Amino acid sequence: MAVTAFFSAFMGVVVFFFSLSGNMGSPAHWIYAISMLAVFAAMIHTRAYSRWRRVFQVSFALLFMISFIGILYDERGSMSLTQDTIQSGEVPFCQIVIPAIIAPFALTGRVIFPARMTGHFASVMGMILLWFIATVTIGRGWCGWVCFYGGWEEGASRILKKPRVNLLSRNKDLRSFQFAFLFFVVLMSLGFMSSVYCEWFCPFKLVTEYAEISDLPSLIATVIFIGLFLGLVIVLPLLTRKRTQCSALCPFGAFQSLMDRFSSYRVVIDVDKCVRCMKCAEACSFCAIDRETIREEKGRPELTCAKCGECLSVCPTGAIRYEFSFQAASDARIRAKGCSPVPKNVPSNRFGAYFQAILDPQYLFVFTAFTFSVIVSGKFIPDAFIRIASIAFGGPR
Amino acid sequence: MKMFFSSFAEPLALGLSTGTWCAMYCVPVLLPFLLGRDESGYKKNSLLIAFFLLGRLAAYGAIGFALSRLGLLAMEYFDPVLARRLSSGAYLVCGIVLASGIYAGRCASCKTALSPDSAVQTGSRRPGFPAEFESNLNPRRNALAAAALLIGGGDRRVSFLSGMSVGFHICPAFWTAAFRSADSPSAAGGVLYFSLFYIGTLPFFLPLAGVPFASARRESLRRIARTTQLLIGAYFIIFAGFIPLAFGR
Repeated sequence: MAVTAFFSAFMGVVVFFFSLSGNMGSPAHWIYAISMLAVFAAMIHTRAYSRWRRVFQVSFALLFMISFIGILYDERGSMSLTQDTIQSGEVPFCQIVIPAIIAPFALTGRVIFPARMTGHFASVMGMILLWFIATVTIGRGWCGWVCFYGGWEEGASRILKKPRVNLLSRNKDLRSFQFAFLFFVVLMSLGFMSSVYCEWFCPFKLVTEYAEISDLPSLIATVIFIGLFLGLVIVLPLLTRKRTQCSALCPFGAFQSLMDRFSSYRVVIDVDKCVRCMKCAEACSFCAIDRETIREEKGRPELTCAKCGECLSVCPTGAIRYEFSFQAASDARIRAKGCSPVPKNVPSNRFGAYFQAILDPQYLFVFTAFTFSVIVSGKFIPDAFIRIASIAFGGPR
Repeated sequence: MKMFFSSFAEPLALGLSTGTWCAMYCVPVLLPFLLGRDESGYKKNSLLIAFFLLGRLAAYGAIGFALSRLGLLAMEYFDPVLARRLSSGAYLVCGIVLASGIYAGRCASCKTALSPDSAVQTGSRRPGFPAEFESNLNPRRNALAAAALLIGGGDRRVSFLSGMSVGFHICPAFWTAAFRSADSPSAAGGVLYFSLFYIGTLPFFLPLAGVPFASARRESLRRIARTTQLLIGAYFIIFAGFIPLAFGR
């Protein structure tokens, strides 16, 4: 209880700073702040990280759509992406494009995405700064905790209780395909000096903004967007209980997997405690745990782990946990020498136990990841509440 | 001095200054192809790059020959619209070459896979994508497999053909060099100017010589590269070739 209170107090400061400050008179911001604090406290108290993370991510995806489309209507009077918007460089920048812009920028000094560089909530610099901080802290945890698109798949994948299609044996192929798709997107963006992913392959156009249908190619693109959204974001997650778009087609997800080595936290599997029940492999939404991962006692999930905590919650022996990267690396080195890592000291008094608990990487990771959730959702969720209220009760926003 | 500058230094400088653009068009085609090759040592890799560059040079030669035959008529026919159509056609051909050449010359089993009997699955384990795709190629039913048979499954041939098709994609640097060489008082001078420009662009391909350093270490990387090559081939055929040619986008 004391640990919950401690972390909740700090989360209160985060929520105040990123949402409430400057909006103290807004009921929507208060509802948001209280809801976020309640979700966070429940997460820490029950240790059911994944369940409460899912509640947040699914809600965020839906409310983000409402807020984002509303903002587009305010700014340009339409959800469609016009040639004027593209030519004036006012297209909102999203994180998925980051891997595609790096190589062209490095070679030509040009940002190939027609977005504002600064001064907007979805500017290039703002998003890159957020990405950089997320990379060195939670790494690919962005996909599992923060991504405003991922909630769609997260929600769809939990509708059925059991998977109708088992993808476990295909995990490796999916991962391989995702990296190939990243490589493809990077090379094609370089070759054509445009973001080919946004032009043809983004399933989330349907819930954000879409290109104006003015000719047959734009109609074809729209059909592809709809097909990808229905197939990869709704139907396949529903049938497989996996986040298929995140696992197979998201270039940012693959990029973050490669960048994850710079993050501060890892998910580790204690091979001594593991009973090889494979529940983690079946539960993993990101296809990051194979049967081989467990059989070969790798001691960690595969590269594409998004630290969503799904495996932590289903593990019957508590063999899976969050760990600091430096600690995980040190333990791995010790194991490689054929020794066992030294177990942590058990504190002899309550104060020691409390102090150890607040430095526990489990709590610190959840706190860090949820802080990012607040930073990214702090503007959109209250805005969505206001828009819903103005539609429901009428009157100005 | 002026003669030296206009005949030697200028084309070399033009190649060196615009070579980044050449690399940006060619590397997306060449890199996955080189990375995906099995048992590719430095010698074989360099040879494949050389074949690619030779293919590109052959395409430039063909365009140069056509322009020289047309003479002033070129001004009438060779406009940006034609250049764009030529580029789209080049992408279409390049896409077919890349997609059908993903397993070109890889191993003995691939030759079996590409034979009319096909559907041979090697080893006891079920091969994953794209190996599964490879083993299911049947030239009687699959156009891609038929194209692969036509190409003949040779690495060098795929490299040469893809280089040649990329060469028909006319980039701004090529335009500049072509027009400056056409400005030359003699045919030999024009050829020399263009050849030096071409040599100027070559240093940008040097980093590709180091590809085996990465590809030799990881089978997973080669597998990813082959899938990428297939995706790029499909993208060239549909989005960069067919759609612009059919709908003018």
